Amino acid sequence: MSTQPDQGPDQRLSLDTAAARNLATTTKTPPQMREISPRWLLRVLPWVDVTGGVYRVNRRLTYAVGGGRVSFSNTGSRVRVVPPSLTELPPLHGLDDDRVLDTLAGLFEQREFERGDTIVRAGRPADELVLIARGKATKLQAGRYGDRVVLGSLAGGDHAGSDQAGSDQAGSGPPAGGAVWEYTLEAGTACTVLALPWEEFHAVASQSPALREHLARYRARRAAPQNKWGEAAIVTAAGHRGETTLPGTFADYDPGPREYELSVSQTVLRVHTRVSDLYNQPMDQQEQQLRLTIQAVRESQERELVNNPDFGLLHQAHPGQRVYTRTGPPGPDDLDELLCRRKRSRFFLAHPRAIAAFHRECSARGVYPDSAEVEGSWVTAWRGVPILPCDKIPITRAGTSSILVLRTGEEDQGVVGLFQKGVPGEREPGLSVKFTGIDARAVASYQVSAYYSVAVLVPDALGVLEDVEVAR
Amino acid sequence: MTETTHSSAPENGNGQLSLSTDAAKQLATTTKTPPQMQEITSRWLLRLLPWVQCSGGVFRVNRRLTYTLGDGRITFSNTGSEVRVIPAELTELPMLRGFDDMEVLEALAGRFTQREVAANEEIVSEGGPVDRLVLIVHGRVAKVGRGSYGDEQNLGVLADGDYLGEQTLIEGGQFEFSARAKTATTLLTLSRQDFEQLAEQAPALREHVERWRTSGDHDTNDYGEAAINMSAGHVGEAVLPGTFVDYEQSPREYELSVAQTVLRVHSRVSDLYNQPMSQLDQQLRLTVEALRERQENELINNKEFGLLHNADFSQRIRTRSGPPTPDDLDDLLSTVWKEPSFFLAHPQAIAAFGRECSKRGIYPQSSEVSGHRVPAWRGVPIFPCNKIPVSSTRTTSFLLMRTGQENQGVVGLHQTGIPDEYQPSLSVRFMSINEKAVISYLVSAYYSAAVLVPDALGVLEDVELGRNG
Repeated sequence: MSTQPDQGPDQRLSLDTAAARNLATTTKTPPQMREISPRWLLRVLPWVDVTGGVYRVNRRLTYAVGGGRVSFSNTGSRVRVVPPSLTELPPLHGLDDDRVLDTLAGLFEQREFERGDTIVRAGRPADELVLIARGKATKLQAGRYGDRVVLGSLAGGDHAGSDQAGSDQAGSGPPAGGAVWEYTLEAGTACTVLALPWEEFHAVASQSPALREHLARYRARRAAPQNKWGEAAIVTAAGHRGETTLPGTFADYDPGPREYELSVSQTVLRVHTRVSDLYNQPMDQQEQQLRLTIQAVRESQERELVNNPDFGLLHQAHPGQRVYTRTGPPGPDDLDELLCRRKRSRFFLAHPRAIAAFHRECSARGVYPDSAEVEGSWVTAWRGVPILPCDKIPITRAGTSSILVLRTGEEDQGVVGLFQKGVPGEREPGLSVKFTGIDARAVASYQVSAYYSVAVLVPDALGVLEDVEVAR
Repeated sequence: MTETTHSSAPENGNGQLSLSTDAAKQLATTTKTPPQMQEITSRWLLRLLPWVQCSGGVFRVNRRLTYTLGDGRITFSNTGSEVRVIPAELTELPMLRGFDDMEVLEALAGRFTQREVAANEEIVSEGGPVDRLVLIVHGRVAKVGRGSYGDEQNLGVLADGDYLGEQTLIEGGQFEFSARAKTATTLLTLSRQDFEQLAEQAPALREHVERWRTSGDHDTNDYGEAAINMSAGHVGEAVLPGTFVDYEQSPREYELSVAQTVLRVHSRVSDLYNQPMSQLDQQLRLTVEALRERQENELINNKEFGLLHNADFSQRIRTRSGPPTPDDLDDLLSTVWKEPSFFLAHPQAIAAFGRECSKRGIYPQSSEVSGHRVPAWRGVPIFPCNKIPVSSTRTTSFLLMRTGQENQGVVGLHQTGIPDEYQPSLSVRFMSINEKAVISYLVSAYYSAAVLVPDALGVLEDVELGRNG
């Protein structure tokens, strides 16, 4: 078989690159992974070493409780309160009489409102408890000179008028002194509202000694001296003259403080010994498997810190620190509203698409927020507070998300991350890798665990802007 | 007296009394610039990309195993006003990916019917049954959904080569969004009945689609990577999931590409005319500049590894209305949100963006990069690059990228230490002197660019420059 150099027009004269490659060493990257994100939350949270595995947050005794969201179930167009969730209403907080709650849930009356309708009007007798089942409503008041003043907004699960429960005598008939609504509630979208007349509520109370007693306790709690955050007052005297008797006082503590246990993300990594024994040049196979698994565990850790129903930041936020957007998309006004509720906000945390939506709102108003440098990266800042992206904050199917704002650090009574230093087999802070054995199929196993939690020291350290529409 | 005597000074016939500058020049040395060249640009891309040494000539990008939902754009051929889909292009549809029976594809392509839609006309409506596959031949289409309180939500813009209704064509179901034409639009539609009829006749197609439908059951993370199983937040003695990290079986390899030229210098020129500038050096300098310009051009436009072609389809977005508005750049930023490094755009595109900002009363801060002030958007600098093409209809693209190997970004590839190296990864090699006394030098630059993970590079397409506002 003779090979003539001039056999064809495309006959090569020299060795081609494809063949040459067989002799050369290819430059390789370590395995790349799309899932890795900057994990800003883990980077900027201050981490506190929890040596005993449990972190107890002692607070001053607080009288104001409840105030969370009521949940609803619907069959067709008929909406009903889920009875146990009624205990989120301050007057019913802690009541565990299911029969009474069931009865109360059955007494609500459903009403539908269109956008712009008035749900309650200022000055009218406040004879009802109002729950918003779906939609958004705005609290309005007449200003000093007669103009409309926006007080805030309510959304699905919120309630209005619950403070009337304590203002009159249970079972003594209609509201004494004719309490009136102090604000107008106007539907900002189509709204479904459930209303319960106090008359019927008190009728139930007169039948049930349990409820009556509970209400009496609620009234006593409300009457106790307290500051504006609902903490038991530390009585002081100021501005007095002469030999006034000074008040004696003490700071009372919460008798049942919240304890945070460290949660865990775990997996068992399996590597075949033949792979880890032989294929180690130039990269250590086991090391690469471990590196990627640890990245995935850290991603899971951040997801849990945001979403865990027990300690996740989205669930841990105090009801009083949850605000709604005014119109839907996150505007500069909404972020200002969020900032004004907190001292020393350290950073915002938002989904990248929510950040884009915020930027759009800014551009529409002709505002260009400054950028700030955080650990070498440039991010947008609003009023000097950087907005960090975090793709773990969920976006619902309807295109709504949340924006978090945090004050951090133990000394600022902020949000702190919890971990434990020096766990056996520690590889990174709070993360351990333990060899668990080789099985009969020659597969080596390593247990990878990360221990973590997050604590909010004072409720106002964490605020949430909810109902952020990212695609409007 | 006005009558003057002839001066005693010698006259040269021009009435000049002293030596003219023209004559004096003959004795003096003229100060000269080296040869200047308009083609030289600042070549920001070459300066900003981190260059990775690629010994062995090949760079392999290993990634975690990904179950791609592989989709691309479909191209069409037209004769007059009649449009046809190119049959082989139908394999860009996820369900037909890898299907190679040309006969069936031809038949399928023949079943499409053409439809013209006016601006603002609804193409599909939310809640309507998915009874057809719609290919957008030409035009801009807005996807609109409903928000939680019933208002309209903008879900993005589709344009030439995109399609609607592919996911559920087989299972049926309902459209979860409306699509409305923003401009006059040409569509090709294929009804579900036609598709099913064809699938009846062609068992290969039916099997392929069936395989595609069942292949979607892999356990993956949000990015389509094979999942790393773990459990979190459990208490007690839960059984932990065992796991391993799977890699791609045939990872992409980038070979170094080359830009080459043969520089010829006559030996008489290079031997004699070397004061004060070396002729050969100047020839070489300009050739190298031209080669580097070509290198940057290739890094952006090369079909194999050019950044415009190497961007993942999920990372390509379209402008909302045409001109590059702040909203579009914000959308682009949310595609490369993990620590973006810089934007790259044609100078005219930057000007168009500046116009849009001014119109809204926004003045973006500029930022400083290695001593230069460059415009920036949200703290991310925007660098000019005239290699990004502007089409005949005055549309262009914006690029946004994250760079660096440790950030899993975009990297440039080169090889230093090649024989006769003149600059990093650029060699000048003496070839020969021919019988006409012309010396030849072979000048070669070796380079390539790699995108380590898809979300390191985003492209904003369809940026119109010609709109005057």
